[in-house]
Amino acid sequence: MPACRTPLAALLLALAAAAAPARAAAPAAERRFDPSTPAGLAAVVKEIDERQRNQGDWKALCYMESKEKGKTDLASELLVYRRDADDKQMFLFTKPKAEAGKGYLRIEKNLWMYDPATGRWERRTERERIGGSDTRRGDLSDSRLAEEYDARFEGEAKLGAYQTWKLTLTVKPGVDVAFPVMRLWVDQATLNELKREELALSGKLMRTSYYPRWRRIWSESKQGEVWYPEEMRFFDEIEKGNQTLVLIKEIDLRPLEANLFTKAWLEARSR
Amino acid sequence: MLLVDLRIAARNLTRHTRRNLFLGGALAAVTGLLVLLGALTAGIEFAMLESATTLMTGHVNVGGFFKVTSGSAAPLVSDYPKVLAATRAAVPELDYFTVRGRGWAKGVSPSASMDLVLGGVDIASEPAVRRVLQPLAGSLDELAQPDTLLLFQGQAERLKVTAGDVITLSAPTDRGVNNTVDVRVAVVVKNVGLLSGFSAFIQAGTLRSLYGLSPSTTGAIHLFLKDQALAPQVAARLRTALSEQGWRVMEPDPQPYYMKLFQTVPSEDWTGQKLDVTTWEDELGQFKQLVFGLRVLTGLLVFILMVVVIIGILNTLAIAIRERTREIGTLRAIGMQRRKVLWLFVLEAGLLGLAGCTAGALGAAAVAGGLNAAHIPVPEAIQLFLSQEHLGFRFDAGAAVVDVLLLTAITVLASVFPAVRAARLRPVTAMHHIG
Repeated sequence: MPACRTPLAALLLALAAAAAPARAAAPAAERRFDPSTPAGLAAVVKEIDERQRNQGDWKALCYMESKEKGKTDLASELLVYRRDADDKQMFLFTKPKAEAGKGYLRIEKNLWMYDPATGRWERRTERERIGGSDTRRGDLSDSRLAEEYDARFEGEAKLGAYQTWKLTLTVKPGVDVAFPVMRLWVDQATLNELKREELALSGKLMRTSYYPRWRRIWSESKQGEVWYPEEMRFFDEIEKGNQTLVLIKEIDLRPLEANLFTKAWLEARSR
Repeated sequence: MLLVDLRIAARNLTRHTRRNLFLGGALAAVTGLLVLLGALTAGIEFAMLESATTLMTGHVNVGGFFKVTSGSAAPLVSDYPKVLAATRAAVPELDYFTVRGRGWAKGVSPSASMDLVLGGVDIASEPAVRRVLQPLAGSLDELAQPDTLLLFQGQAERLKVTAGDVITLSAPTDRGVNNTVDVRVAVVVKNVGLLSGFSAFIQAGTLRSLYGLSPSTTGAIHLFLKDQALAPQVAARLRTALSEQGWRVMEPDPQPYYMKLFQTVPSEDWTGQKLDVTTWEDELGQFKQLVFGLRVLTGLLVFILMVVVIIGILNTLAIAIRERTREIGTLRAIGMQRRKVLWLFVLEAGLLGLAGCTAGALGAAAVAGGLNAAHIPVPEAIQLFLSQEHLGFRFDAGAAVVDVLLLTAITVLASVFPAVRAARLRPVTAMHHIG
């Protein structure tokens, strides 16, 4: 039986078990998914993606706290903007003062970083760590597990107070992702992803992520509910001691202004 | 006639032994200092360039970048045997070559981590590396084994590891997939200057495995020419030759490859493979700045010395000639022409300058040899910049001859003004002069 990797994670999951909102509505369970069959497994992975997808615009205010061994802890606040229609995303740091105005803009698979101190844009790799933390762009974007990975059902497992399904995902041929193999622990009752282990090409465990709190919100554009992890904790497994906490404090699913997702807009906000 | 003039000048010099010994001694000291400074600069420059050209760059390099998307860049040359064949055909000046993997990774030990610029080496085919690197722990031969790494002393101390310990290297492949490899520290070597701060070497096959590369892919081909000075023209010819054979070749850009990897190339709008032909001077931009700084410092010191010397010589010669004004009057009275008087004084100064400067240069050569033999340690704080642990002088006879001739010429020029003044005096006035 898989156990939580750290006592902190176990505590988080225990706390999460007590958190009612994520468990209150359990439509997934009612649908009686059966991941032990290929069709059921595909349905589970598709459902994980679907329930997080908005199919429109969204904006989120996030708090990010990064701890790195031998360095001072770094806390920051950032706004994340996302438009599904043309696959654009933007990050704008608002706190601390030293980081305020720094931003990332992703247009057509190109990730650009703007540094207001120099007033320069630099093209960065898509899988760049955001703001020097253990967070990557993909962590704050849509879930595309069904599109990018082939899943394998590994069995049932107890994770804290949760009864989970354990899945192993292997990247599909020709798809570029940061981690070619992932292990997921999915809550059987809600289909919320609770824990994720991401492995390098060599098979070494690189990062463990926990998603102890989930929330749902009504989306006009989707005409349905959108689920999002309210809290994410990332633990670096290569450099032990490095970890990042991300809290999604506010989320807004209303359509965004048409002129967003441009370098000019981000530069103007940085001034 | 010249022989007679020389004998007269030499006799005059020996008649004023004390004054000339003082003046000649000053000239010898200045020349000695100049030659020693030059030898020290040359020693530092040689050590820097020898380690850098052996460890980091050839005289000419055929490297390249591969971009899956326009925002990414990996330092790769794919299908390198073909590139190598074309390169060898276009460079008849080639002495030998090495094939090096290039990369970047985070090195993580149980207690610390640091970013490393990786060189993938096949130690068996790189004897020059053994000449430059001095093992402190472990053996260079061990680097032939798979999953092994060479670290410099400072890096090993920072990561708190030694030979035999295992560290994890973590890096994204050219397609952005994260990968790791656990490597054993095969050898820890002495620092060799700036390079030791960020550069580490890994067995070539292990580097390929970290980046998921095929055996026909490498980072760069380092070409070593019979004459290093030909590098710029060979690089220009090679660029044209490779372009004509269908490879996309980058425009000349005098920056080290890792600067291009992190800054220039990812900001360019192209994808696929491009070759990049560079010279050792392009790759060693930061070393050139250091050497330039060193030269400027030496030049400034030499300039100040020269000003002091010229003023001193002018003054001393003016006094000496003034003391000999009656002698000049006598010579003029017995029929010697002004031009001859001037010539004799200039010749005298020239002889004195040549003797003093030559003695100074020979003394400097002896001192440099003695200091080299004494193995005087350089303070640790500046070892990194000087690329050497012991004070090393590189005496260049040609440069010493130039220094001697230069200082002799300055002495001669300094003597012209007082000699002209003396020669212009009327014989009667000169004879009545109270010196």
